[in-house]
Amino acid sequence: MSIRYIKEPQLVDPVMIASWPGIGNVGVIAVDTLRRSTRAEQLAYIEPQEFFYPNKVIIRGGELVEMGFPSSEFYFHRNDRHDLIFFAGEEQPAEGGGVYAAGSRAYAMANLVLDAAQKFGCRRIYTSGAAVAPIHHTARSRVWAVPNSADLLHEFKQYDNTIMMSDIEGRGGEGNITGLNGLLLGIARRRGVDAVCVMGEIPVYLQGFPFPYPKGSKSVLEVLAAALGMVIDMDIINQLAEQSENELSSLYEKLPHEIKDQLDRLKKATVAAPESSEAITDEDKKKILDDIDKFFKREGGGEQQ
Amino acid sequence: MNGEEVSRIHGKHALEKPVLIVAWEEDASNLGVRTVDYLIEGLGCREFGEILPEGFFPMAGVNVVDDVAQFPESKFYISDERNLVIFRSNIPRTGWHGFLNAVLDVAGHDCNVSEIYTLGAMISSAAHTAPRLLISIVNQKEMKEELEPFNIMTGTDYENPPGQKPTLSSYLVWLARQRNIRGVNLWVPVPYYLVSLDDPRACKRLVYFFNSKFDLGVDFSALDAQISQQNSSIADLFQRSPEIESLVRRLETGEGLDGGESEKLAREMAEALKKG
Repeated sequence: MSIRYIKEPQLVDPVMIASWPGIGNVGVIAVDTLRRSTRAEQLAYIEPQEFFYPNKVIIRGGELVEMGFPSSEFYFHRNDRHDLIFFAGEEQPAEGGGVYAAGSRAYAMANLVLDAAQKFGCRRIYTSGAAVAPIHHTARSRVWAVPNSADLLHEFKQYDNTIMMSDIEGRGGEGNITGLNGLLLGIARRRGVDAVCVMGEIPVYLQGFPFPYPKGSKSVLEVLAAALGMVIDMDIINQLAEQSENELSSLYEKLPHEIKDQLDRLKKATVAAPESSEAITDEDKKKILDDIDKFFKREGGGEQQ
Repeated sequence: MNGEEVSRIHGKHALEKPVLIVAWEEDASNLGVRTVDYLIEGLGCREFGEILPEGFFPMAGVNVVDDVAQFPESKFYISDERNLVIFRSNIPRTGWHGFLNAVLDVAGHDCNVSEIYTLGAMISSAAHTAPRLLISIVNQKEMKEELEPFNIMTGTDYENPPGQKPTLSSYLVWLARQRNIRGVNLWVPVPYYLVSLDDPRACKRLVYFFNSKFDLGVDFSALDAQISQQNSSIADLFQRSPEIESLVRRLETGEGLDGGESEKLAREMAEALKKG
């Protein structure tokens, strides 16, 4: 289990931003958009064989000519305030047929990612994913921020459109983050490295569908831009978010009235603290979600539940 | 595995660059394990070693099949006389890279095998009366010429569609190539309505190939008896149900069946052959 370095640049006060596939690919789309807009260069990759089953085979004329594996790649970009290191994982090293990372291989991969971060002197790491929330797809996704140190809470409370676990009604500041997005936070904490998971909200009724949700990614990018103190070109993500909303709205119009009426009630729903949730009661929210569950198949969990 | 024992070898052998045949449980028609079981029994192979299950299978209890508790097994058998190694295993649930490398370690270091053949079934819409084809995928181009005299289809083109993973057999011969060990995946299409049943014709096709290529001196009488028994059971079914016979005849002419017809054929064939 090792990392292969392609370049060994001297980086100035770098920050790492990591993503893996998950619900709505919220994190992957956000980080990939930022990586592409900065034209980041490849830095290293993790050798895949110990972590993943192959995902590609090509046979030509009866000969096995190629076998491919999910990639786990690092990129870097020199920036004004902080240099950036990106980590993009094509799959999470899961065990027992799951989608989210778990077990010894997940632990090993999270440690390799942190080894690379520390090799180049990263003092902060961001992971990114989705927060499943009772919101409507026409609403602006908020960003749930979970740091691995109480010292970071103050900073993140200042960012626009960002909420903490304690802002979410009924949670009392508690929850969990599944997969490598969460594991990396924990292992970074053990190593004394600051890390924050920023999760863009995705409507609860979309969590089981294989649709990307770039609206959640856009909100994540806005928070990253503020946290990194950089201007990010939002043209591409704006286009993706608009296209996605149009497609969802078109699909939405085809839903039976009884489903649409229930989902429309989510336009008034909020997961924020009680003082801002006058339009809908807890009981209403529970009923909406129960009704939605009857109509939509819910698969698995989320990065955040 | 952190340096823990992964495989265990029992005793010595007198093999000289033998051939390794690999079969996995949970294959359609149990084709691979039926074939190697026939060879193990017919050639008097002895157990030689195993890959240990820890790290490759969930250690969370046991499955019960036909009233009996099961446990994953990954065993090597050898025939010194026929210069043959057989690996018969459940499909590992995790740690595939480590597992397959452990197989190749035993094959390469302990047995010095010259070639690996994996066995597997593909699901076909052809009738059971059609001749069984044999399809090969090689990991080194020059092997194709050596296989062609055995009436094998050696020119397959394939690329897995998104979301569909390569087979463990493909992965094994891919890793074998990295060690410069020659490897072949052998596939036999079996009629879809025999997938949950035995297909002795498909089994015979594979055994016949190995017998021809490596001069094993296999006695086919038991396999022939199984084929006769299956023919007889199917003939009885046709007598009882002309409708089922007509469905099979349609498949023989290349005509497809609709969903309901396919289901009926598979169900009635299963009932008839399980009784038979």
